[in-house]
Amino acid sequence: MKMKYTDVGIVAVFYVICGLFFAETLKLPVESQTYPKFIVIILFGLTTLYLIQMIMNAVRYGTESGKEDFKGFQAKQFFVCLVLAFVYILAVIYIGFYVSTAVFLVAALFFLKVKPLYIAIATVALLLLIYGAFTLFLRVQLPNNILF
Amino acid sequence: MLSTLSVMGQGFLHAMSPINLIMMIAGVAMGIIVGCMPGLSAAMGVALMLPLTFTMQQDTALIVLGAIYCGAIFGGSISAILIHTPGTPASAATAIEGYQMTKRGQAGKALFTACYASFWGGLLSCISLYFFAPLLAELTLKFQSAEYFWLSIFGLTIIAGVAGKSLLKGLMSGALGLLLSTIGSDPGSGMPRFMLGGNSYFYDGINVTCALIGLFSMSQVFMLAEKKITERAQASKVTDKMSLTREERKTIRPTIIRSWIIGNLIGILPGAGASIACFLGYNTSKQFSKHKEQFGKGSIEGVAGSEAANNAVTGGSLIPTLTLGIPGESVTAILMGGLIMKGLQPGRMLFNEENALVTYTFFAGFVLVQFFMLGIGLLGSRGFAQISRLSDAILIPCVTVLCVVGSYAINKLPEDVLVMFVFGIIGYLMRKLDLNTAAIVLALILGPIGEKNLQNALIISDGSPKILFSSVICWVLIVLCVVGILSPLFMNKLEKKAEKEAETEDPNGPIEEEDLV
Repeated sequence: MKMKYTDVGIVAVFYVICGLFFAETLKLPVESQTYPKFIVIILFGLTTLYLIQMIMNAVRYGTESGKEDFKGFQAKQFFVCLVLAFVYILAVIYIGFYVSTAVFLVAALFFLKVKPLYIAIATVALLLLIYGAFTLFLRVQLPNNILF
Repeated sequence: MLSTLSVMGQGFLHAMSPINLIMMIAGVAMGIIVGCMPGLSAAMGVALMLPLTFTMQQDTALIVLGAIYCGAIFGGSISAILIHTPGTPASAATAIEGYQMTKRGQAGKALFTACYASFWGGLLSCISLYFFAPLLAELTLKFQSAEYFWLSIFGLTIIAGVAGKSLLKGLMSGALGLLLSTIGSDPGSGMPRFMLGGNSYFYDGINVTCALIGLFSMSQVFMLAEKKITERAQASKVTDKMSLTREERKTIRPTIIRSWIIGNLIGILPGAGASIACFLGYNTSKQFSKHKEQFGKGSIEGVAGSEAANNAVTGGSLIPTLTLGIPGESVTAILMGGLIMKGLQPGRMLFNEENALVTYTFFAGFVLVQFFMLGIGLLGSRGFAQISRLSDAILIPCVTVLCVVGSYAINKLPEDVLVMFVFGIIGYLMRKLDLNTAAIVLALILGPIGEKNLQNALIISDGSPKILFSSVICWVLIVLCVVGILSPLFMNKLEKKAEKEAETEDPNGPIEEEDLV
């Protein structure tokens, strides 16, 4: 199995996590340090083993970019959905659940090129489902700030 | 003995209460819908529905989760048969013969066979659940803190190797999960740890349900969002009658029994799952068939072999989950999360006087769920087939909304929604980079249990680690941990072998890997 360059990133991130947690562990009282330190050492050891395996794979079989894992990646679609979801969460918290949800659904479905009739059906059906299940059945008070 | 039988009987009566019956129907229908949609998985369905069960009684909540699990495993066969796209990996082998039958105008017969075999596979697996679960739970009576510590480590070693291409990456994921589980107060001293600048929200640790929803459901949204949205194939029309002749039922009977045994054993084995069972069930049905020539052309035995095996996994996989707290796969890991959140601990506690009724009500519910699965499957397959065509463009925003509302409903805290979102991104990246999301979840659940028991053991022994190696059970568990670490190597080979054998039979062409979520 060839070594993937994306795995270099994984190893780097895991080392950073180990470093951060280790630094934070040292700030704890001595009696609370043992268990987290033990886990950090295990993670560090496993990451190092993986690094060794990667190097051995690179020597034996060569390297590859790892781009194959992201073949067909729709960058625009993905990032717009990601940002829309994040903005939606903030809107739910600061504006209110039902209005934010309705706007999010219409915007996201429109962006994903769903036909207007289906946009209307999906939005109304999901809002009714949530109202029935969460507000009426479970009596969950959904965020209700500036607007409904 | 008599008292156990009496509680079992009471369990049935409780399970048949109107609310439980309604919830079974809703859960099975929900599960089938999730299962038949190629973009969604059983784990995702159970994770998404977990918050809905928070206000329910313990038994009702467990029944709903069990119903979704069973429904989803069966639901995958509908799209496998009608559009040659398995809704879940558990139905990959069903697509081989099922779609051939559809092409021959026998879609109704294929669907009936899948329903019928799933029903018997699931129902028979309940026998082992009733029989083995209390026996295995008795074992845990002998467990002290040191044994529980090793048990939690065993659970982690098992799941770390599941479903991943690299064993080391699986173990790294588990260790990362353990590290994340240390966020919050120290269980011994109450000292706050790693709370991101002293944020009191993290005092009780990361909310596991939010992490679950993020890792399994929100990450799935991102997986769908990165792919080009294409229209799914038109579901074939069911033109024939949904039934089997008496002769055909007689033919598939031995196949169902063989697949039940295979599925059940695979389910009990931690680390194996329905996706392995379906191929083994399929291959075994071919080996023993008197009509081998029909395989690859649309054999009802092939469909029955695969479907009985994958549904037999459900009851089997609950045995180690409920008795030892070792879920063999991601769905049962989520189910165990639900169990703990409802205040129940796996092990002997589930069968003591206080909780036995809840446990046996759940078992009885699990039996009844199989009947509902049969009924709903037979009556609604045509409708579910249309739902399975629902575009990813509609699923992406709808599932996002359900993730948000689900994670908020748990504690009504906006921070929970943000945690869910962050874990969604983590889950997406982990899946893209072949890391193991199930290992993180299990570590989040088992980490605090292991840490607490380790601390208790060390307190008892005045800080001497010798206590961790002081009993036979400890050593057995240590050996099992080593076996657990090595078992994925064997399981991967077994799965690949079974898949390869089955693929040589598939005249429909290979199933796209991206369809197998």
